[in-house]
Amino acid sequence: MASTSLAALSSQLASSGRLRRRGALSSAVARPRLVFRHPPKGKPNPPSRFTRRAARCLPISYSAVSAGGSRCRLAFICNAQAVPPTSIAQGTPVRPTSILVVGATGTLGRQVVRRALDEGYDVRCLVRPRPAPADFLRDWGATVVNADLSKPETIPATLVGIHTVIDCATGRPEEPIRTVDWEGKVALIQCAKAMGIQKYVFYSIHNCDKHPEVPLMEIKYCTEKFIQDSGLDYIIIRLCGFMQGLIGQYAVPILEEKSVWGTDAPTRIAYMDTQDVARLTFIAMRNEKASKKLLTFAGPRAWTTQEVITLCERLAGQDANVTTVPVAVLRFTRQLTRFFQWTNDVADRLAFSEVLSSDTVFSAPMNETYQLLGVDAKDILSLEKYLQEYFTNILKKLKDIKAQSKQTDIFF
Amino acid sequence: MAAIVAVRASGAAAVSTIASFHSHHCAPPSHSRTALAVASTSSSSIGARRYHHGACCFAAKPTQVATDLMDQDGTDLAAAASAQEVAKPPRRKARSRRSKKKSTTAKLEEEDEEGKDKQAAAAAAAEEEAKKKKEAEESGRALASLEDVIVNPVGLGRRSRQVFDEVWRKFSRLAQMSSASSTALAEEEQAVLIRGGPMCDFTVPGAQDTTVLVVGATSRIGRIVVRKLMLRGYNVKALVRRDDPEVIDMLPRSVDIVVGDVGDPSTVKEAISGCSKIIYCATARSTITGDLNRVDNQGVRNASKAFQDYYNELAQLRAGKSSKSKLLIAKFKSAKSLNGWEMRQGSYFPNTFSSSFDEGVDASFEFSEDRQAVFLGFVFTRGGYVEISKRLSLPLGSTLDRYDGLLLSVGGNGRSYVVILETGPLADTSQSKKYFARMTTKVGFCRIRLPFSAFRPVNPQDPPLDPFLVHTLTIRFEPKKQRPGDGSQNASDPRNFQLILEYIKALPTGQETDFILVSCAGSGIEPNRREQVLKAKKAGEDALRRSGLGYTIVRPGPLQEEPGGQRALIFDQGNRISQGISCADVADICVKALHDSTARNKSFDVCYEYVADHGTELYELVAHLPDKANNYLAPALSVLEKNT
Repeated sequence: MASTSLAALSSQLASSGRLRRRGALSSAVARPRLVFRHPPKGKPNPPSRFTRRAARCLPISYSAVSAGGSRCRLAFICNAQAVPPTSIAQGTPVRPTSILVVGATGTLGRQVVRRALDEGYDVRCLVRPRPAPADFLRDWGATVVNADLSKPETIPATLVGIHTVIDCATGRPEEPIRTVDWEGKVALIQCAKAMGIQKYVFYSIHNCDKHPEVPLMEIKYCTEKFIQDSGLDYIIIRLCGFMQGLIGQYAVPILEEKSVWGTDAPTRIAYMDTQDVARLTFIAMRNEKASKKLLTFAGPRAWTTQEVITLCERLAGQDANVTTVPVAVLRFTRQLTRFFQWTNDVADRLAFSEVLSSDTVFSAPMNETYQLLGVDAKDILSLEKYLQEYFTNILKKLKDIKAQSKQTDIFF
Repeated sequence: MAAIVAVRASGAAAVSTIASFHSHHCAPPSHSRTALAVASTSSSSIGARRYHHGACCFAAKPTQVATDLMDQDGTDLAAAASAQEVAKPPRRKARSRRSKKKSTTAKLEEEDEEGKDKQAAAAAAAEEEAKKKKEAEESGRALASLEDVIVNPVGLGRRSRQVFDEVWRKFSRLAQMSSASSTALAEEEQAVLIRGGPMCDFTVPGAQDTTVLVVGATSRIGRIVVRKLMLRGYNVKALVRRDDPEVIDMLPRSVDIVVGDVGDPSTVKEAISGCSKIIYCATARSTITGDLNRVDNQGVRNASKAFQDYYNELAQLRAGKSSKSKLLIAKFKSAKSLNGWEMRQGSYFPNTFSSSFDEGVDASFEFSEDRQAVFLGFVFTRGGYVEISKRLSLPLGSTLDRYDGLLLSVGGNGRSYVVILETGPLADTSQSKKYFARMTTKVGFCRIRLPFSAFRPVNPQDPPLDPFLVHTLTIRFEPKKQRPGDGSQNASDPRNFQLILEYIKALPTGQETDFILVSCAGSGIEPNRREQVLKAKKAGEDALRRSGLGYTIVRPGPLQEEPGGQRALIFDQGNRISQGISCADVADICVKALHDSTARNKSFDVCYEYVADHGTELYELVAHLPDKANNYLAPALSVLEKNT
């Protein structure tokens, strides 16, 4: 009984997704309407940057790209809450242990999946269909469903029987930001609302409201607003930076004696272990007091790039071959690439240089959050400890390899 | 790129490289043309060899950056830059090759010259290189391949593309805050951070070498157990009953799946081969007695037997004895086996009046006609007793300290006996110490497990029993301490006794538990079937305890489907459980118990903490919220009694 009604719902949604072209969806799934506070002064965006349908569907134009540097904030009225929530009262209640993780193959996503599995959740992972499927997720015991956020008609089927959606998806650096991060997210949130998802966890970026000039941050901020207006029970978690990212960026090059590239930016980032992020997320998810809140997770201390490199050098016991690129160069490159339509994606990717050149501190006082969640601050891993652990393990491994190679030398 | 490699090869030069780079760094980077110019002049002006290297590096890097900057409009510049780049690799290679050969001073001079020649056009340089290589008597083949790189435009393009991509990747990553998951990075992470790597939350040392059989892998607990094991990097085998694609799909891909029923010994045997641990979380689907008996009782029996068989098989391959098999102390199957057993009578009141009446005691220990060793008789005397004892003769090389306790298989009319172990020097019996433990038998045949830890010294001042020193085993019957309600009410007279002995074995000891059984605490079952369910579960538990395997029996309260790790847990022995527990918590206990020495040979009830104000003092609160690196299990279990 229950399954049939849910299946019917999903097929209805799926078909409505397909019928979108004929306008049958207009009443079922609402679209965000975006209203400009100021009309863009610069030249309008070339229409080729959006696919036609997407442009029709979501009339946003990113004025941040306009050459003159005049920017205007995107404001919008969300009418997602006008959606009549589908009545699923007659069905079996969805088990609170069933969750959907979007972006499960990412740095954070995989830790969220692991944590969830370990805490006994039934985890479904939404991954894009790809030639090499994410086998490691299946190996851990998660269910993998194929769907693509940029194709909204694939989404509803994946939400059947789901209690909570955890959204850790971000577009890959090499693809245009808007398809996944805005259009895909809007479709996902609307689906979640329409299908009665009971909690939506969204990861955003710290300070995203203060840097509208960075496309990704602006999109995250708009998505936050969209979720808040949608009427879903949500938790928005703003993050600062992941320690895991530092390993590829600094630790590995230092060990391999390759040149390390750093900036002289004064920006400080309070890096956090993704495992801690995942842990705190689940604590927050189960905490009634945290619902409909905006939480910021930050590490215990904020670090500049130079400090991180120095720390890595100390722990690795060798000097790094540091190449310092001044932020000014980054900014200049960005300005340069922004002039040309075909390098705009590049410009977007370099957009953080704007953030870097302002001496923002990506950190937040965590005391209140700890108190709200009942977490001991001592349990949060610090960057020193994290890197130390990493280097001890790696150096040990390297030593083993060396010992082995010596043995083979004798053998031959 | 090649230049960077060069710097690395000559370690001493690297420092100066950075220095020179920084010194030139002040030049406004936007003027990349000038930067390039500076680069080329510096490389030409410096004569000394070391600085030459440094300049090389310097020239290469800004060139690449400049290429990035310029590649949109100034293609000619980029081409020039790459040409310069290409000019360098062969030169470097030639030099390194030469330096591998014992380079003389003459050659060093040559090299210096070569360094000065550097600003020469690319083609000229290549020619020169070719000449010098000939001088160095290099093999022609290497030369051909080198020229290939230079001349072949495809190779050249590919190479410069690689270099460009690498530099661009690093450059653009600089401008990103937290580098999102690039696939290359994800691969690097896999080794250390994920799946059994040293830095993930769930690491268990030695997990890779452990294969765990999960019986009932699709049950509510089993599902989570499998996932937890996979996360920790164990090898997992799963025994499932139904061969459904739906069921199979539920399990992770790399789980080894055996389809079969626990009631069938052959499938269990097949499933168990290759495993070093068993987690048994199968339960009967119905409360039909046959079903209960098959899964909860016979299943456990089959699994523990198959496990022992498997270990014996392995041991035979090594031409030794399995460390998990029991040691036979005495087997009563022929009249000869009674040799060495002595019967004695005695009294606790040796000097009182009653002891003078000899007629009060009569007993015999003999091999009966139906081939059973029977110890029977009566003790009417107050304070009198009768006992059989034997000096132990263990096989060579085995001592009792490698064993955990005794297992007796006996039958009879259900009296209680005292088992006494004597320790001390064999020659001087006056110094020997005695330790006793009580064993209660049932009417009919049963097997009794007597752990050495249950033996108490007769003289309270004596130290605890050391199994290594045991030399004599005694079984004593004494009528006075018969407890009411142990099956002897309907017997004619509690002073009569009959004990049929089958065998006495010693149970092996070990560090870790081998077999984890998820049983149930009994609350939450519908009342009219509770008896049957518990009976079957109990029979299964008993079978496991007697198997000689290290066991852990978990008896959870009513299971709840919710995420684990949220509430404190109560570990308790004795039927005092009132609360439920989440499946995930039970699974966590199972997985934690695998390598916990305190979990060996324990049975315990577990449930959520009772959150009322009163009543909690009945229990000992031992667990906290499970957290990262918080091993709650060991302290919780260490206070509980073993072998219950």
